[in-house]
Amino acid sequence: MTEITHHAYLFDAVRCIACRACMVACSTENNIEMDKTRIWQSGVGVKGEFPILQRATMVYHCMHCNHPDCLSACPVGAYSKRPDGPVEYDPKKCIGCRYCMNACPFGVPHFDYDKGLIEGAFIDKCTFCPQRIDVGQEPACVATCPTDALEYGDRDELLKIAHARIAAHPERYLDHVYGEFENGGTSYLILSHVPFSELGLPDLPETPVNEVSEDVMALTIPFALSWGAVLSAVAAGVQIANRRSAAKAKVTEPIEAKPEEQTK
Amino acid sequence: MNDTLSRRDFLKLGAATAAAAAVGAMLPPKVAQAAYTAGLVNAAGDGYIPSMCEMCVWRCGVLAKIKDGRVVKLDGNPEHPHSRGNLCPRGQSGLMNTYDPDRVLTPLIRVGQRGEGKFRKASWEEALDLTASKMQAIKDTYGAEAMVFSSTHNLSQPQFENLLYGFGSPNYGTQRSLCFNAMITAFLLTYGIEEPSRNYKDVEFILMVGRNMMEAISTSETSELSHAIDRGAKLVYLDPRFTKTAAKAGEWIPIRPGTDSAFLLAMINVIVTNELGDCDFVKQYVVGCESLPAAMRSYTPAWAETITGVPAATIDRIAREFAAASHHAMVHPGWRTSNFVNSFQTERAIATLNAISGNVLTPGGCLSADVGAEGAGLGAPPQPPYPRLSALRLDGTPWKYPLVPLKLGVFQELRDAILTGEPYQAHGWFIARQNPILALPDRTKTLQAFEKMDFIATVDIILNDTAWFSDVVLPEASYLERFDPLLPVDGKAYIRQPVIEPQGEAKSALWIYKQLGERLGLGDYFQYEDEEDYLRQQLKPLSASLEEVKAQGYAEMPEEEKSDEITFNTPSGKIEIYSETLKNAGFSPWPTWEEPPAPAEGEFYLLTGKVAQHTQFGTQNNQLLHKYSDEPRLWMNARTAAGMGLADGDWVEITSPVGKAHTQLLATEAIRPDCVYLTPGYGHLSKGLTTAFGIGASDSALHVTYTDPISGGQALSQTFVKVSKA
Amino acid sequence: MKMNLTFHPRFRLPLLAWILLALMGAAFVIAMVRYAVGIGAISDLSNAYPWGWWISFDLFTGVAISSGGFLMAGLVYILGVEKYRPLLRPSVLTAFLGYIMVAVALLVDLGQPQRIWYMMIYWNHTSVLLEIGICVMSYLLVLAIEFAPVVFEGLRWKKLAHFFHKFVMPFVILGVVLSTLHQSSLGSLLLIQPTKLHPLWWTAILPIIFFVSAVAIGLAMILVESSLSSRYFKRGLEIHLLEKVAKAIPIVLATYLLLKFGELAWAGDLGYLFTSGVMSVLFWAEILLGVVLPLIWFSFKRMRQSPKALLAGAILLLLGMILNRFNVSWFAVKHSDPLTYVPTFMSNVTYIPTLPEVFLSLGIFSAGILAFGLAAKYLPVFEDEHSQAHAPGGD
Repeated sequence: MTEITHHAYLFDAVRCIACRACMVACSTENNIEMDKTRIWQSGVGVKGEFPILQRATMVYHCMHCNHPDCLSACPVGAYSKRPDGPVEYDPKKCIGCRYCMNACPFGVPHFDYDKGLIEGAFIDKCTFCPQRIDVGQEPACVATCPTDALEYGDRDELLKIAHARIAAHPERYLDHVYGEFENGGTSYLILSHVPFSELGLPDLPETPVNEVSEDVMALTIPFALSWGAVLSAVAAGVQIANRRSAAKAKVTEPIEAKPEEQTK
Repeated sequence: MNDTLSRRDFLKLGAATAAAAAVGAMLPPKVAQAAYTAGLVNAAGDGYIPSMCEMCVWRCGVLAKIKDGRVVKLDGNPEHPHSRGNLCPRGQSGLMNTYDPDRVLTPLIRVGQRGEGKFRKASWEEALDLTASKMQAIKDTYGAEAMVFSSTHNLSQPQFENLLYGFGSPNYGTQRSLCFNAMITAFLLTYGIEEPSRNYKDVEFILMVGRNMMEAISTSETSELSHAIDRGAKLVYLDPRFTKTAAKAGEWIPIRPGTDSAFLLAMINVIVTNELGDCDFVKQYVVGCESLPAAMRSYTPAWAETITGVPAATIDRIAREFAAASHHAMVHPGWRTSNFVNSFQTERAIATLNAISGNVLTPGGCLSADVGAEGAGLGAPPQPPYPRLSALRLDGTPWKYPLVPLKLGVFQELRDAILTGEPYQAHGWFIARQNPILALPDRTKTLQAFEKMDFIATVDIILNDTAWFSDVVLPEASYLERFDPLLPVDGKAYIRQPVIEPQGEAKSALWIYKQLGERLGLGDYFQYEDEEDYLRQQLKPLSASLEEVKAQGYAEMPEEEKSDEITFNTPSGKIEIYSETLKNAGFSPWPTWEEPPAPAEGEFYLLTGKVAQHTQFGTQNNQLLHKYSDEPRLWMNARTAAGMGLADGDWVEITSPVGKAHTQLLATEAIRPDCVYLTPGYGHLSKGLTTAFGIGASDSALHVTYTDPISGGQALSQTFVKVSKA
Repeated sequence: MKMNLTFHPRFRLPLLAWILLALMGAAFVIAMVRYAVGIGAISDLSNAYPWGWWISFDLFTGVAISSGGFLMAGLVYILGVEKYRPLLRPSVLTAFLGYIMVAVALLVDLGQPQRIWYMMIYWNHTSVLLEIGICVMSYLLVLAIEFAPVVFEGLRWKKLAHFFHKFVMPFVILGVVLSTLHQSSLGSLLLIQPTKLHPLWWTAILPIIFFVSAVAIGLAMILVESSLSSRYFKRGLEIHLLEKVAKAIPIVLATYLLLKFGELAWAGDLGYLFTSGVMSVLFWAEILLGVVLPLIWFSFKRMRQSPKALLAGAILLLLGMILNRFNVSWFAVKHSDPLTYVPTFMSNVTYIPTLPEVFLSLGIFSAGILAFGLAAKYLPVFEDEHSQAHAPGGD
């Protein structure tokens, strides 16, 4: 394997037999509680009418976006993006606001709804198994996959492999690698034989969904400063004007000035 | 009895064993010490130990990740040919079998009524003494044959057989007649081997007859099939159900159940009539090829169409595609081939198709008859010959079923003999690693047979249904906690070794059988000090030491000498499409069509078949597998269901001639309108299984016992059921 | 009730106060359960619906209806429209209490409420929620400063009251800036959901639309609050002032309407107005109730001069606008598609708020009303330091 500068997954829905070994592997590798999961199976399942049928399922976990929306949304910076791909989450910073869950177009972050203050309720999501990839192992889900439906490697390499696979079997695959451009590019690349929406993937533009939000946020400080300046100027102007008119009023009607305000 | 532990964090589940660990901490931790000496774990006890999976019989190599003296992860061993670094969901979840909060961790002796689940804890001494004395009493009173022994395929089976044959009972129940009798007897009669091995390297055309490889996963073979399909090999798949294998097939044929052999015979007809087979090979190595066209004459595709519902043109085309791929084609022999009473004929037709394609033994051919026997090349502890058995087997082998090998037996026929007392009455049952209550068809009958028993002892790791109805439960160490005999695969002998200390007082089968054997005066059959000594004796012919094997996970075995001469272990030394043996036993010497019964109006074929997350009925209590399994429901074709006024999710009653079951309906397009499908292995009776109890319906409560007279195989798809709203 | 015992037996409380106290007690118990065993135990929130009733009602609605405070402060202090001073203090008090209620509700909704102050030290500058958090927390401080003179007057600490009064101007300006920011940012909060929020609501100008509607809501709240408190505390109604407030409403609403439909037209989303089923109905409901009807209503002088009509019109506007806040933050947000999921606990894609969720909000709201009542009773809320002191509303 070539040196990995951008860790990525390649998932091939044509190869996946939905055995869920990846899910069990993730659960044990990461010591996930029995009623939680970081990885799941989605899709419409069996489609068509007997006997003309197709299966559409995929293995779903964090897409490790190039421009993560969870990271953009998190108020306290509990998320970070490693330069080599993985999107990380730091429970030590998390305040549990769940804005990341709203922001993520893939519905990936999950929350501990069953935890009180003492245990602490945190977000959970796929970590990309840093404890494995940083010592040269494949992520747990990839390592166990019996059909190589999940593969792991450098993003550019995997993109090449994906396009080569489409070129080799154009009758078998849609001519599109989901995640190459979606949401600004993701590190989970997907090949499919059915429309991606049938696998449970959202239809996303090539610009990250956080783009408008971030653009607006960038205007905040300039806007706040200028709006403050305008208000100060107005306030000052009004005060000066009031003082002048008050001074005038004092000359003409020195006694009646005050009670005017409380007229009913 | 039941642990009231939360099911949450499986690592925290160690609470059940925390007390034991605290005691254990006083003693030298053998496993950790050995692993440390071998350099597998560091001083803190963290590291990887190679061993072997036991979540199914494929036996992948695993690397168990150990942290603080606990198994925290299992990875597929890249060096093992059965796993190649991968594991299926069952393999991945194996540690939850070990850490199941429902584990039985001390010997149990029944105190309530059978089936009440009331047991008291006992010492090994007491439990073993009781078991041995009961067995001895039965032997003394009724003869050794009054004890039934049963166990399902496992690595310690040689020692189980020592116990049984040393004791002197012929009554040996195995799972085989419920599984692959049809395949094994057919291939033994045709090729002289039990099961040919498959080679997917150059395969171009694969025909699978209900071999649901993508759900009944054999890790390396599933992987090879998948890669073959990726490469462009064509998979044609016969199954009444749109399984996950059907979804990956180039062509899925939802054939009418029970008619596979008609389809295959018509294929043979097309190939031999049009002379598309490998004539040189056929003439040289096959008995019967000259007369084959005549024997197959009536099996035309048009004839098969009326039986199978598959268009004649399709059968003709598939036969030609198969023949065109020649040595690069295979008809997969299948595995659990106990479907109909004609399943033996299906397997004979498969054996024949492979023979005439010339793919067997041809270089690059897809099937290989070159399979070594289990345990060959290894040493074994010395033992005297078994006492002569004079009693008949209760299951009718071979006096009722002349062609069924003794090793296989006809397990499901045992109960009638127990219930009728003919030819003699059985009084005791010793069961190890088996669950006859859920394994055998017609659960009611099995429970009745249990009632006739004076004594039942079961060796298991959890209170499965059979243990629940037993008098004594002997807690076995799980496969991650014990040694089993070495297993040779592809020139290496692989080890299963404890990666953690046994929890509680659980012990290995090798230890349990030896203890029982000694108490029964059969010590000569158990000439090993302990498990490690057994393995050392196995390793004697090899140059490796046990320490090396423990560290490496396997021992190299000397290359077997291969002769260039092709012979088959049959009476003629050739592949016998035409079998004198069959003829002499009064059966058709040719692969032939036998019409199986079909459901009446308003009835359905009851189909069962594996899901990827479970192995038979032994894994439903595994919390990890439970988490990632689909709810077990009754599949019914969506339009059929609508026609019956049934909606998805409705509770339904399933009625068969022998029982009833209740479950929820899954209305789906993925099944033939004349079939329903039930995920097997659910509907447990034991309340000692806190995860599995109350989930799903039991297929064994519905299955009717039908035995194929040739192979002795149980016809598991031949039960017809009615479905109504519950 | 158990609570009786904690009060002096001869201390007589009106029935309303008892009801409020009971609701508060219930909310307290609910909150304790939540802190002990988690949000899931008392709510229907799930991974598919991370935000629900609390965000729509307590945060979105709560902040919106607290907008009267900055409007009045701006009007009186910055624009120097002194004649509105009588409305200033009740408005500031309402806002102050409103924001405290928002904060309390968030302390229940947050997974780690004890870490709320992390917003002050860990800044992620791209997060709209950070901006809202900081603005709301700072604005609470500003409101406290704006309201401080009232408290000190009540305590007759005249010097301190005068001190705060003297330096209030910069804080008022800060308060208006903070309010403008977070009122609009509540809209920006949804900008990150272009694929989840229905196109009838999602627009890049959400912050502007939110701000304009917040102004309308603030004005309506001033009307409601004045009407209600004049009734409850048996004070005279400043009808001549309220009429002018009401007169501004049609102008604000017209601006809102123009922005909203202008944007829909510009984005080419007008088609959704009639083709989105329930979404179209919800959209028209909020537009008719909250914008079109009040716009017409308050255009009539007769309506503006009748105390009852003022209240009715304001309530109409508020209902519509609150529906808008619910739509934007809940009803029009599309969550995970109900495809098949494994494991099955992934398939929970419906959300219906539970009774504890609603009662928690009611309890917090009750506390706010009670606090308002007590403040109105014991503090000079309805007088200005410039006016002659009435006796604080006697029993």
